[in-house]
Amino acid sequence: MSPLTRSTVLRRRSDVRYRRIEGEAVVLRQAAAEVLVLNEVAASVLDLADGERSVGDWIETLAGEYDADRDTLERDVVEFAAELFEAGLLEEP
Amino acid sequence: MTPNRRGVDELSFGLSFLRFPDLFPGRRSGEPWGDRVLALDVAGGPYLFSGLSPEQEEAVRRKFGGLCREGADEAVSTRVFRAPASDFAEVDVRGWEYTLDMEHEPASVRLAGLRLMARLDWTPGLSGGLWTSEGAGEEWTSVFENYLRVLTAHRLLEEGGALIHSAGITDGERAWLLLGPSGAGKTTASRLCLERGASVLSDDLNAVRLGEDGARLERLPFTGDLGDRSGGPSLHPLRAVLRLNKGTVEGTRPLTPAGALAGLVAAAPFVNRDPWRREALLAVLERLARSVPAWELTFSLGGRVWDILRQLPP
Repeated sequence: MSPLTRSTVLRRRSDVRYRRIEGEAVVLRQAAAEVLVLNEVAASVLDLADGERSVGDWIETLAGEYDADRDTLERDVVEFAAELFEAGLLEEP
Repeated sequence: MTPNRRGVDELSFGLSFLRFPDLFPGRRSGEPWGDRVLALDVAGGPYLFSGLSPEQEEAVRRKFGGLCREGADEAVSTRVFRAPASDFAEVDVRGWEYTLDMEHEPASVRLAGLRLMARLDWTPGLSGGLWTSEGAGEEWTSVFENYLRVLTAHRLLEEGGALIHSAGITDGERAWLLLGPSGAGKTTASRLCLERGASVLSDDLNAVRLGEDGARLERLPFTGDLGDRSGGPSLHPLRAVLRLNKGTVEGTRPLTPAGALAGLVAAAPFVNRDPWRREALLAVLERLARSVPAWELTFSLGGRVWDILRQLPP
């Protein structure tokens, strides 16, 4: 994948199943045995990764939901997106 | 041409165990071993097995004792069939961890293993077929138990419960569920509790049932080193779920519901890799994670684990 920017569009892989529970998310993949627990922001990134909205759109949405420093939020979202991509939970459409 | 993932799965199913995977039975039919019928009172059951030879029936009765009876209405039915030994591949099991090969479909599950082929079908009720070349003895009961474990896992899920790879500990009234992968200390912790007067339901697989009155732990005849293989039903309110850690400083810390759910899903064998039944599994285990306190328990060989369990706050 080319470097992740605000214009990058990603989607959840079709074999990803997850459950939001008290802010965190429990994630399963059919193709892998591991079960992951994501914190609230990472879980929200997973929610937003629909293959249509860009990373920049996610940041705008989350900025309206979290009372967080804008730079920190932007850095966190980009980092989480990259980690979720590396973990095989997100893919390019 | 590169086959897609579905193609790869279809091509590889059964190859480790079967000489002719393409000839895997498409429906429950074949030559029965005999005319004996036997029912087992195991969680989610009764489970009715027909087509058994006298030797197969005797071997199951020896292994599962008081759980066996002559027959049952409203049972989950399995028919047992002969399969020639030549259908099965020779497998060198030295230094090898045995894992059944499974293929999942919306209305069926196919299994292949050492001298066994089996299928579960929902038509719409759950029923099964088991084909084996083993007609008696420990080889047969091993085939039987491996199949029964998978059948029980799916049946429990269908009933809103789950089979959990765990140690189940009870004081005779309440029960505690200890989670952890192989080597995490389930048997060690169970033994420590046993030495202090607790009872061990099983140190390998336990059944969790969810009802109006909360979560309960039910004994299964699937034990490792500890537990009662042939004892009758034993159902206990579930007091807590604990994820085990070995360490030098004993203690507990709360697990979030998501942490508990992740541990439970990882410990739900057979169904946690079934794409058609994962949503149901997540729903059941989320209910469990929300309804029972969960902790991470660090314990040492010092032996205080049973005291820690009993002193957990509600």
